[in-house]
Amino acid sequence: MHSAGSLKQRLLLLALITVIAVWTGATAFTYYDARGEFDEILDAHLAQSATLLVVQASQDLDEIETEHAPLLHKYSRRVAFQIWEEGHELRLHSANAPAQRLAEREKGFSDSYINGKHWRVFSTWDESHEMLIQVAELSEVRDELASGIAINLLKPLLISLPLLALLLWTAITRGLRPLVKLTAEVEQREPDNLAALETESAPREVMPLIDRLNRLFTRIETSMQRERRFTADAAHELRTPVAAIKAQAQVAIAANSGTAEDKEVRNHALNNAILGCDRAAHLIDQLLTLARIDPMGAQISETCNLSSLTAEVIGAIVPKALDRQIRLELDAGENISVRGNPVLLRILLRNLIDNAVHHSPDGTRVQIIITNEQQNTLLSVIDNGPGIPEAELARVTERFYRPAGTSASGSGLGLSIVKRIAEIHDANLELKPVKDGSGLNVTVSFK
Amino acid sequence: MRILVIEDDALLGDAIQAGLKQASYAVDWIKDGVSADLALGTETYTAVVLDLGLPRLSGLEVLRRLRSLNNPTPVLILTAMDSVDDRIKGLDTGADDYLIKPFDMGELAARLRALVRRANGQSEPVLRVADVELIPASHRVMFREQFIELPAKEFAVLHTLMLNAGKVLSRSKIEEQLYAWGEEVESNAVEVYVHHLRRKFYPELIETIRGVGYLIPLNRNI
Repeated sequence: MHSAGSLKQRLLLLALITVIAVWTGATAFTYYDARGEFDEILDAHLAQSATLLVVQASQDLDEIETEHAPLLHKYSRRVAFQIWEEGHELRLHSANAPAQRLAEREKGFSDSYINGKHWRVFSTWDESHEMLIQVAELSEVRDELASGIAINLLKPLLISLPLLALLLWTAITRGLRPLVKLTAEVEQREPDNLAALETESAPREVMPLIDRLNRLFTRIETSMQRERRFTADAAHELRTPVAAIKAQAQVAIAANSGTAEDKEVRNHALNNAILGCDRAAHLIDQLLTLARIDPMGAQISETCNLSSLTAEVIGAIVPKALDRQIRLELDAGENISVRGNPVLLRILLRNLIDNAVHHSPDGTRVQIIITNEQQNTLLSVIDNGPGIPEAELARVTERFYRPAGTSASGSGLGLSIVKRIAEIHDANLELKPVKDGSGLNVTVSFK
Repeated sequence: MRILVIEDDALLGDAIQAGLKQASYAVDWIKDGVSADLALGTETYTAVVLDLGLPRLSGLEVLRRLRSLNNPTPVLILTAMDSVDDRIKGLDTGADDYLIKPFDMGELAARLRALVRRANGQSEPVLRVADVELIPASHRVMFREQFIELPAKEFAVLHTLMLNAGKVLSRSKIEEQLYAWGEEVESNAVEVYVHHLRRKFYPELIETIRGVGYLIPLNRNI
């Protein structure tokens, strides 16, 4: 089975990625923010230093003999200045200042690249406009400062990341415990245990899952019970024809004296044994039909021409009906259609019409009427048989139920089959006496 | 020996009727509970074969009604219901035996013989009066160390009288045990059979009680 991987690992990975992303974002923001602040502060410093030099240069420059000033601080190496007389004669400069002029002569801030180094320069003139003072600072200083802050921010994250992962792992494990418990419960179940899963300790997120599972369990339980009952019923029903066949065969064997009477008994018993086999075979057919309905019920969306299906089924039954002078009359509009499964509908029609013919006295008629009424399509099969007492109408669709007085030659399954097929087609099955009191009217209304 | 078969399945009922006839029983066959209840109330049967799943009135209900009237007729339930619970329920309702479909015709006949024997307070499978021995299972009679062949009806008359040895049975009571419904009862048939039996054995075997009926006396010393 393909798996989407461990939920725990996924959660941990996602949490860690989120933490790292947020932290890195914060660091990047801090870096750029700090960098901007430093620019302003240090630019201000440059401007201030330049102002001081202007003052000094105007007063003391004549007395200064050396050409460069000493370095006083570690950052001093990165801060340089030049004082140019008239803007082109270098009068004074710091030790680390490059030989060429730091920037153009215009007053203000500028950036220049000298010998591969990036200087931030502030240029200004003294009041008499004789001295050009240029103060510069290596730009890398600013980068270093901002990076320092960023690194200080990242350090604790890097150190605490394994610890964080460990804590998250524990928390996730705890958080997923109800799910693990549920899984264990399902895992340890006996395969035939279909009791509902308990929902009390389950987290809200898995409730729909448990709910679905429980509903599935109930459905399986119901269908298993139905299967078991069906198997038991079927076995019981088959016992009687088998008992009859066996008893008839034994009667035939015992009628062995060779007298005319015994010969007659033997023939009668053997014929009955064959009849018994036919009946058992019919019962088995009907049982198999009933068992096959449900799997077939999945495909009921075909448009079926009910009129022509009915005509076709009637055609197959006519010879049998004619033997007993029973007339089959179809009264249907042309091409009345319903959505369904044609195989199942044919079985439904055959059972209904067979039933009607079976219970009709010789020389009567069976009417089959198909009409459209509002949104429904009605299929009625009306016979002139003895009908079914009102009290038993509700029970005749039960499996193997045969109303009193019926010869036990039917399987007792015909109407159960009809009912099941109607159910699958979301159609309504109604049995009622014919108005004048004799006969049965079975109506299936398709929605 | 008249048996009532209550079975709603046409083919099975037909077979039981034919099979029991072959075992020399007179058999009445009824297909629903209500008619069975009626028949049991009006006729006397040696034993009853009862199906449980009957239309109109269930087999158990027929049995319950029969026992509530203190009718001791032996009842054998013949059914497809094979669970222990079903059997217990059947026996506790008053059945004497329980046989599950499909069954063996021979076993059904043997169980009915056993029921009849027990109902008449006998433990031996052979009926014996003086030097006449009747073996119901094989339909044979031994008289003075010799087997005697008897036609079915004569056997049935002898069987009925020997089962009730010491009791006077009226002619109609004997007739009742000989003929099922629809069978033509020959006039004076019982007299004729008794006459044949007396000739084949000895005249004193069966005594005539004038105006009452016939009797095989117990413990007659010859």
